[in-house]
Amino acid sequence: MIDFGYSLTASSRISLDNIDQKKIKKITAIEPDFLKCMACGSCAASCSAGNFTKVNLRMVILLLNRGLDKEAVSLIEGCMLCGKCTLVCPRGINTRNLIGNILKIYKEV
Amino acid sequence: MKERLIFGYDPFVLPFTFGMVFIILYLLTGTVRIILALDNAERKLLLKSFMPATLFKTTKDIILDCLIHVKIFKKNILLGYMHSSIAFGWFMLILVGHIEVMIYTPQRNGVLYYPVFFRYFVMETHETLRGSFFFFLMDLSLLLVLTGIGLAIYKRFHSRILGMRRTTKLRLGDKIALYSLWAIFPLRLLAESFTANISGGSFLTISINHLLNTFVTNPDHVLPVWWGYSCALGLFLFALPFSRYMHIPTEILLIFLRNAGIKSSLSRNGYAETEIYSCSRCGLCIDACPMVTKKRNIKFSSVYFIRLLRRRSEESLATADKCLMCNKCVEACPVGIDSTRLKLLKRQEEFGRSKTNHEYLKFIENKVNAPDSVLYYAGCMTHLTPAIYKSFFKILDKAKIKYTFLDKDGSICCGRPLFTSGDKEGAEKLIKKNREIIKSSGCKTLILSCPICYKIFKEEYKLEGIEIIHHSVYINNLLKGDKIKLQKGIGSFVFHDPCELGRGSGIYNEPRELLSAIGVVKEASQEKNLSICCGGSLGSLTLSYSEREQITKSSLNSLLINNPDKLITACPLCLKSFSTYNAIPTRDIAQIVSENLI
Amino acid sequence: MNKQVLVIGGGPAGLETAGQLENLGYKVYIVEKSDKLGGHLLKWDRLFPDSISAAETLQKLLEPVVHITTFLGCEVVSVNKTGGHFYVQLSNEATLSVSSIVVTAGFSLFSAEKKEEYGYNIYNRVVTSADIESYFKTKSDDRIQNPKSIGFVHCVGSRDEKACNKQCSKVCCITAVKQACEMKELYPEADVYCFYMDLRMYGRGYEDLYLEAQSQYGIRFIRGRVSEVAEDETGRLVIKAEDTLSSKPLKITLDLLVLMVGMVKNSDNEKLSSLLNTRLGDDGFFQCANPILRSTEGESEGIFFAGASTGPKTLPESINEAKASALAIHGYLSKQK
Repeated sequence: MIDFGYSLTASSRISLDNIDQKKIKKITAIEPDFLKCMACGSCAASCSAGNFTKVNLRMVILLLNRGLDKEAVSLIEGCMLCGKCTLVCPRGINTRNLIGNILKIYKEV
Repeated sequence: MKERLIFGYDPFVLPFTFGMVFIILYLLTGTVRIILALDNAERKLLLKSFMPATLFKTTKDIILDCLIHVKIFKKNILLGYMHSSIAFGWFMLILVGHIEVMIYTPQRNGVLYYPVFFRYFVMETHETLRGSFFFFLMDLSLLLVLTGIGLAIYKRFHSRILGMRRTTKLRLGDKIALYSLWAIFPLRLLAESFTANISGGSFLTISINHLLNTFVTNPDHVLPVWWGYSCALGLFLFALPFSRYMHIPTEILLIFLRNAGIKSSLSRNGYAETEIYSCSRCGLCIDACPMVTKKRNIKFSSVYFIRLLRRRSEESLATADKCLMCNKCVEACPVGIDSTRLKLLKRQEEFGRSKTNHEYLKFIENKVNAPDSVLYYAGCMTHLTPAIYKSFFKILDKAKIKYTFLDKDGSICCGRPLFTSGDKEGAEKLIKKNREIIKSSGCKTLILSCPICYKIFKEEYKLEGIEIIHHSVYINNLLKGDKIKLQKGIGSFVFHDPCELGRGSGIYNEPRELLSAIGVVKEASQEKNLSICCGGSLGSLTLSYSEREQITKSSLNSLLINNPDKLITACPLCLKSFSTYNAIPTRDIAQIVSENLI
Repeated sequence: MNKQVLVIGGGPAGLETAGQLENLGYKVYIVEKSDKLGGHLLKWDRLFPDSISAAETLQKLLEPVVHITTFLGCEVVSVNKTGGHFYVQLSNEATLSVSSIVVTAGFSLFSAEKKEEYGYNIYNRVVTSADIESYFKTKSDDRIQNPKSIGFVHCVGSRDEKACNKQCSKVCCITAVKQACEMKELYPEADVYCFYMDLRMYGRGYEDLYLEAQSQYGIRFIRGRVSEVAEDETGRLVIKAEDTLSSKPLKITLDLLVLMVGMVKNSDNEKLSSLLNTRLGDDGFFQCANPILRSTEGESEGIFFAGASTGPKTLPESINEAKASALAIHGYLSKQK
């Protein structure tokens, strides 16, 4: 093969057709309010860990819904479970429980 | 007194004797199992506890708690009388019964059933003062127990008179044990009355003997009643391990282990097993639990949690995760079971390997310098209620105290929420980092305005040489040292004791002292160590927002009962929880002090 | 026709309804709990989206009601309905006998102190949209001292379970854009930011105002929530937010922060609803008979609504409802003997 000096990268397009619904169903069964998120970003804005690292619950919920599980886990594992996000969420989601269960279901240890 | 039957034996003693042997073996195996399940450090502690001083305290505790039930008397006199009359009365029956055997039929010393059925096997030859005295004592003790049993039966129908709004439901094992227990003493009374004309008796037994004379003197009627008595006893003893009444013998072991300084380290075995079996299912924790404003949350109260643990049921985790960890149930428990600790252990055991990753903490610099100022740590929650630290700084400025705001640009969480969720490993990392930063700052005093932070800094951080103090206590010290002056007005306050500050750290008086320098401090219907959780506790992992709303409102009802002008609290979570639903102004203690500085 | 109608609430909706009913020949009474007619309109400066003067609009609303019997500083104390008539007692001990009642009690503004994290009444430089509107009228407010950077926070007390108000207050987005442009007019060198969750520009002319705000006034729109407000040593405000579009946390130092407080139910709605025997919705506003076909009529006979008493509304919507309500009352009363 001639080396042209560049290569093809995999498409970064999200395909909604190929998302594995099993884990999403699992997390929704434990914490049904997962569906209520309106991506306002109050959680990420108040996040303690977000001050030092890229922890961002709003982004995590978005990524899980788009099937990008690995990225999601890397964004949530720095959480300190301090509870500020739960206190500010305008939709009343129990975000601490959500985070704990996301780690349980999605992170392979 | 002499023996009526040569061999001192009749088949009717068998049910009781088999039951007794069974229970003795059961207790021995249980005790051995529990001691084997302790780790080496705990066993050493147990050995050390056999020194005279501790042994004396243990004996005293056993008498006060197991026999006289002092703690229950404090809750409600009738309830205390019910328990102590049965316990103490039965103890007297056993004790005096053994003394009677020792004195009158010493050849039967050591025969298991003899003291129990004494009045069947003997006949009175001549009346003596000593004999009448013992008979009187026995009859009196029996009467005591019977009044207790009467109250116990009544309690099943009208528990409110005995100070309990709700009682726990009985399972099959409980029912068999309970009803046979209720049957034992009336049957004993009947049986001893039947033989009272032969063996002798006192005011109770002799009177019944006279009343039922014709029925009683027919020898064919006597034996069946003694059979009944023995069967009731035997049934009770066999049912005991399968019922809640196992707490009677287990509490003795519990007191031994507790006074040795042993605490639960697993949620089901070792010391925890003793606690689990010591639970008498009295149900006092149900009334205490703040979640029980909704009837459907009764199943999450500590008594049912302990029962699920006892059965090794998987559902115990759901309860453990739901608990607010406010410790109101621990406060209410007359046995002193630390059910919050068991729930925490359960969470830790289920958690497995930590799933959080806090490696990024290593890269944060320790650049706080505070060698000659006090260090103030706001904590995560106080950043959402900035009025607290703003007022506190105003007070410090007035008192001319130099301070450094440790987490001005954002906190590394103190670690307690992570710790209580079960992630010990993760919490350790946060603790390590914060400890480094604080130690390298060179400060001598660390002030916290959040009781959750305060508790973990005080208990887990091991910051030697640094005074760790809550801001309400610090401000009170400033007032006592004349560093600040406050104006006294006519306003009235009610103080809400935060769970982590009050029951969690034992601080009740200093905030009240401070408030009484500003106005009148009114009482809530439940306060200090009985204060109701605000509902915002981070201890609960699974309580929903609307469920917490119920708890907040019920706590408010208790606080506003004497119509204060303002509600004062000392925790940012409590402040946020109450201010949403409160009709009167809610303030942190720092706010109200700073508003009244002169 | 000398049938009598009571209008509860002397704001724009109440004034318009009263004027229309008077025109149709009814005897109208207005009862207003404050000491002036005009409601919230009294405190506004210019109305969106075309910057029409609020004072002039109010003047036009007040003219037709000049001869109408008005009870100021009064509230309804008791209502007794017998046979198609309402016997109403007011707090000044006057009693009225009317054939119909219109509830135009309007709304209250969310108390910004409840969102403690934003520091209203704690930090000197945090104000609400109502304060800004007053400032435009009176040109003086100690908290506003030549600000060089100004922030507007949308959705304060709206769409927020934690503030106990789930509803969208409808008018705050467009008001924020309007006030941002107005602040920029007063302080052309200042940087103005709007922190929003969604930009609800549904009305005619709203998108144009948004476009103008961006292109002409250079207002910066940041999609994200403000989480905390703190003060630096000089008293300037340090804002922490998340910039959701770039997915990064954001920090900015501002001289002034304006909280767009939402429309919430009046605290005395419950009392009024039980006096009039008419329902409130879950959000605490009054419930109408049919939200599509009969939105100005109450569920009980003789009770009518107009304006923000049945939920957040813009001013033109309230005026239109007032006219519709007057017509509905006319229809109802004509059928009565």
